Amino acid sequence: MVQYLSTKTFSFCLIALLAVFAACKKEQGPAFDQSPDERINATLAKYQTLLSGSQYGWKAVVQPAGGGAYSFYLKFNDANRVVMYSDFDSSTAVTPGESSYRLKSLQQPSLIFDTYSYLHLLSDPNENTTTIQSNVNGLRGGTLGQGLQSDFEFAFDTATTDSISLTGRQHGTKAYFVKATQQEAAAYENRQLAAPLLQLQNINKILYYFKRLTLGGKQYDVSINDNTKTISFTWIDNNGAVRIFNTTFYYTTTGIVFTTPFNDGSQTITGFTGITWNDAANSFTLSANNTTGTLVGVNSPIVVDREAPIRWWNAALNAGNTYWISVDGFHVNGVDDAYNLKSLRSGTSSYFYMLYWPQYGATYDLFAPVFLNEAKTELELFYGTAPRTLTINADGRVVFRELGTLGAQYPATGPAALSRTQFYNAGGYYFVQTSATSYDMISAADARIWITWEM
Amino acid sequence: MMKYKAKRMKVKISLLVICLTTLFSSCKKEEPLGNVDNISGLGGDMWAEGPIDKWIYDNLTVPYNIAVKYKWDQSEIALNRTVVPVKEEQVIPVMSAIKKAWIDVYEAEAGSLFVKKYTPKFFILEGSGSYNPDGTTTLGTAEGGRKVVLYQLNYFRTRGMPGFVPADSSLIKEVFHTIHHEFGHILHQTVMYPLDYKRISVGLYTTNWNNISDAAARLDGFISPYSMSGPDEDFVEMISIMLTEGRAGFDRIVNSITGTSPNGTTADEAKSRLRQKEDIVVDYFNKVWKVDFYSLQARTRTAVEGLIQ
Repeated sequence: MVQYLSTKTFSFCLIALLAVFAACKKEQGPAFDQSPDERINATLAKYQTLLSGSQYGWKAVVQPAGGGAYSFYLKFNDANRVVMYSDFDSSTAVTPGESSYRLKSLQQPSLIFDTYSYLHLLSDPNENTTTIQSNVNGLRGGTLGQGLQSDFEFAFDTATTDSISLTGRQHGTKAYFVKATQQEAAAYENRQLAAPLLQLQNINKILYYFKRLTLGGKQYDVSINDNTKTISFTWIDNNGAVRIFNTTFYYTTTGIVFTTPFNDGSQTITGFTGITWNDAANSFTLSANNTTGTLVGVNSPIVVDREAPIRWWNAALNAGNTYWISVDGFHVNGVDDAYNLKSLRSGTSSYFYMLYWPQYGATYDLFAPVFLNEAKTELELFYGTAPRTLTINADGRVVFRELGTLGAQYPATGPAALSRTQFYNAGGYYFVQTSATSYDMISAADARIWITWEM
Repeated sequence: MMKYKAKRMKVKISLLVICLTTLFSSCKKEEPLGNVDNISGLGGDMWAEGPIDKWIYDNLTVPYNIAVKYKWDQSEIALNRTVVPVKEEQVIPVMSAIKKAWIDVYEAEAGSLFVKKYTPKFFILEGSGSYNPDGTTTLGTAEGGRKVVLYQLNYFRTRGMPGFVPADSSLIKEVFHTIHHEFGHILHQTVMYPLDYKRISVGLYTTNWNNISDAAARLDGFISPYSMSGPDEDFVEMISIMLTEGRAGFDRIVNSITGTSPNGTTADEAKSRLRQKEDIVVDYFNKVWKVDFYSLQARTRTAVEGLIQ
């Protein structure tokens, strides 16, 4: 019985083996007329012709993983050279920069910007060594060792006669090229990319925290950061609810373009053109959808987020009885650290940050400067002021009321004293949540004064 | 019982025969290779050559068979590091400085045949540093005696270049340090240094070198923290620092040692160890390569000084 089974098994094996080896016979020809190499070369040649064939060059938008959106104007020739402009800063917007590029078949046909150019400003990892301190894109959110996590090696996704879509090979950065017209090329070469960039820099001249956009019969609170290229809109929709919209933007020769168009239900805004700063009125005029609007500083928000103060207060409690910190303290009339907290000393210890500690005691919180000891090994609290446990007015404002002071004698003059006086301002504060772990606290009496709390 | 065995053997043999026949008969293919000249990228990247390519060819490739890759190639860099390519205007200043403070001095002391035979043949230039997860920055690497990668070159400024400030000198010295260090490896991998060298600081080598300061390393009789990572590194760090700092600079470093190290090395012991290492290096250059080390050192230091300060 054993013997019989064993022979049978072998026969099965034999048949199986025969079947496997017999199946190797192939009769189908290649699926394509040309070899893979011929096809790759043809594809690369096609892309080369496309890039250098655009007489007036290409407009491009690059969106790094590290945030923001950046526009470029590029002109490729057929000898591996490219000249570009970029809205990275006011210098790259007006100075043509020449560098090299090449097309290469990596895993996919790829476009490589292979020597340093304006595009690499986004990728630059910055430097912090004993010999070199350099912060190429830090202001724009780039980090040490990574920069803005952008790319300069791109694979082709799609290419038509007038647009090219690319994806970065390392970080997946999206880049979109559109063929420029003669008129657009002339505008870039006439240094017009800098105009909207320089106009919008005046945003810092509006000292009010709240900036009101009036456009097409609607009003919005707008917050613009021209370093990180972000803009946000706050408005009340038709149902009376508060809505917030954030997007990144980039510059063109005529204005700014949002990477995601803003739609509030009644109008769609894709960007602004004709951005003009009016120094006398301390405001901008700008246009969208052929309608002119204004952007001015205002003293109070379009809508008060009534829940923000309690969210702020609870966030610290819920995070394990921790506290909020502010390194710069109060910002007043366009000046960060207006009370010069960074000069504050206590004995040999130096100022580190201000804190707000909810429920420091059963019936009170704590607002106090924190110091770093001389050996830089320990944080120290010497004195502070204790506001009563947070109460929120019906209109959403918070007015702090002092219960007493804690620790050593609270200084009567200097940065700590000025901060304390401002803190207990009878007008109170509005709260605006700016991220999951940051809030701005704006003086209701004067929106040119605020403090940023971070966790 | 016997019958069973015999039958099984027979089956095995026929199986083997069938397998072999199948193997040799079935997979016969006669497709032509095709035109290999068509393969994209075969023979290296191609681009329209410019003045930089011509300078490299005339000054480094023709005389010394050295290639310089200044255009980006991700395959030369670790994929998990963010590095950017070098600025084109940096390429010629960097390579001509390297030629002055490294190729020219060896050529003058050891002859052109020596330089052609032993120098690394492939330089790769990068614009930024390469950041490591432990917080250090890689400024240079070398592989197999052939390839040298130099980083942070967008910040390279020699005297006379626009924007040069004295602080830039330290980066230049860092670049020369890297090259002389790596070339030292090539030399001792070609002809080993005397084993006596390994006995001088025996027991003090450590993998924890990156947490040790320059001063602490010197107090233990090492010229730099990195030289504590092993005798080979110790040997080439000695070569590199003695050459780039010059004899007077090296003497200054040795004489500045005071105190006793946590390992119990006294200042006198530390000084003596550094002097023993110096003697072996000088002797090695003399006996193995027929090179007067002190003369090489003087030439190198003069070249370095011409580019800094």
